[in-house]
Amino acid sequence: MKLTKMPPQVVRLVLLTVGIVGSYMVAKFLLTPASFGQYGFYRGAALMEIASHPISLAGQKACAECHSDEVELLARFEHKTLSCEGCHGFGQAHVDNPDVKMEVLNYSHCVKCHEANPSRPKWHKQINPKEHYPGDKCTECHVPHAPSEVP
Amino acid sequence: MSGEITNVVVEVMPHFEGFVYPNEATHHPLWSVLIVLYPYITGLVAGAFIMASLVRVFNVKALEPVYRLSMLTAFAFLLCAPLPLLFHLGQPFRSYQVMITPHLTSPMAIFGFVYAWYLMAVLLLELWFDYRRDLVEWSKTTSGFKGVLYRLFTVGVTDTSEQSVKLDHKIGHILSIVGIPSAFLLHGYVGFIFGSVKANPWWGNVLMPIIFIMSAMVSGIALCVLNYMILTWIRRRTVDMRCLDVMGMFLFYALVVDAAIEGLDWIHRVYSAEEGFQLMQYMAREKLFYTLNVGQALLGTLVPLLVLGGLQLFRHRVSDLARRRMYFASALLIVIGVLAMRWNVVIGGQLFSKSLRGVMSYKMEFAGMEGWFMAAVVLALPFVILTILVKLFLSEKLPTTGVGSDQPAATPA
Repeated sequence: MKLTKMPPQVVRLVLLTVGIVGSYMVAKFLLTPASFGQYGFYRGAALMEIASHPISLAGQKACAECHSDEVELLARFEHKTLSCEGCHGFGQAHVDNPDVKMEVLNYSHCVKCHEANPSRPKWHKQINPKEHYPGDKCTECHVPHAPSEVP
Repeated sequence: MSGEITNVVVEVMPHFEGFVYPNEATHHPLWSVLIVLYPYITGLVAGAFIMASLVRVFNVKALEPVYRLSMLTAFAFLLCAPLPLLFHLGQPFRSYQVMITPHLTSPMAIFGFVYAWYLMAVLLLELWFDYRRDLVEWSKTTSGFKGVLYRLFTVGVTDTSEQSVKLDHKIGHILSIVGIPSAFLLHGYVGFIFGSVKANPWWGNVLMPIIFIMSAMVSGIALCVLNYMILTWIRRRTVDMRCLDVMGMFLFYALVVDAAIEGLDWIHRVYSAEEGFQLMQYMAREKLFYTLNVGQALLGTLVPLLVLGGLQLFRHRVSDLARRRMYFASALLIVIGVLAMRWNVVIGGQLFSKSLRGVMSYKMEFAGMEGWFMAAVVLALPFVILTILVKLFLSEKLPTTGVGSDQPAATPA
């Protein structure tokens, strides 16, 4: 069938469809990021962008360079699986320049693991923070680096 | 200052009971009230469209007064169907990327394709072919902004010869036939998304797509009943009782099938009593008591079943006014009941721990992207759009032809 013989509404719809699909293809061509699909279903350049973010966590090895005694002490007790920065906060700035002090300890993270909760195993030491010396610092009695040394 | 504070709990922990995994101890479920609205709105679209195809495909003449209203309802709600998802995802400046980098193997991404197919290839086309002749007429007689709109919608085709109108009807009929499986696909897909989560005993269920389709039909027909009655009331017209009775009949049959399948689902769950069954009992008794037992089962299913079923038997003994009130009340209860059903599925499925030994809780916020105010706005928006569409395409002042020509506007008072 010749194009002119086709009903006008069908011709117009075909043209409209071609127009819509065409503009979609143009938009897809122009807007798809250049590195999309380079490694997988994502923007390849995103990897480098993420890698170029400033580093905030230094890692335990960096801490051990100066504080080896504390790291060794920690390794002998129950908290040996915890990382330094898990309690002390981000350390890269302090590693780069020792004059930059680590953030002051906030004891709320002790109760994150040690607040009484029935879903925790029985052997795990748990307290009710409202009854267990409320208002006192945990470290007044406990030594986090060697928890079983002090009751 | 904070450093001096000691072992006093600073954070308010999210409320949960029993044994809950750490990643589940969040303040609210990942899929919140907006994701409740998504299957709800999509279901209303599918239901309203199937209601319209009763006229087009199955030739139910009595329903002609609501044909165009149902199609416009489906269209208004379809325009809003992806909104809750997009609002839930956030990142409005990146949302276009979902379209320029289409993912072909993600079940979530398939909604985009199903949606685009249904909107562009089915609903818009069917509406256009149905309205084409009227649009040409209206574009000649209307001036101003409305006239420009009508001219725009004709896409420049002004041929209204008998032959071309016949072709419009033929294509509209074919589109409507294609539309029925498409509507089933649209909402069956939504059910599939939940039903395919096999790790969740509340969702992972092969009946899920069918339950969703049936409840969609029920809610869609109920919405059309409400819209039709409200529109005639606003326009001070009389309701076509024959049309309303037939709508009530289809609503009743759809509700019977829907209730049967959902009942079957529960019988199967109770009899097989699989691993998570105790927890489900707890959910039904405690966590979802009001939305499941009261909202969904009693008010949303049982009461309308009795009322509509009674009307099937004793229709001639009930006065027109009482019938109208009973249909309106049943439709309203069904629409609310189906919303409760979506809530029970979406929120219920996230209120228990994967350990099957603990439950979480969800308290809706008022403000914020996932608050109930936002949800109310998203739910009100299709009605605003529908009002505009009705003003444009179901105007009392404009003469109409075609399938829906016997529309509420044309029914004499």
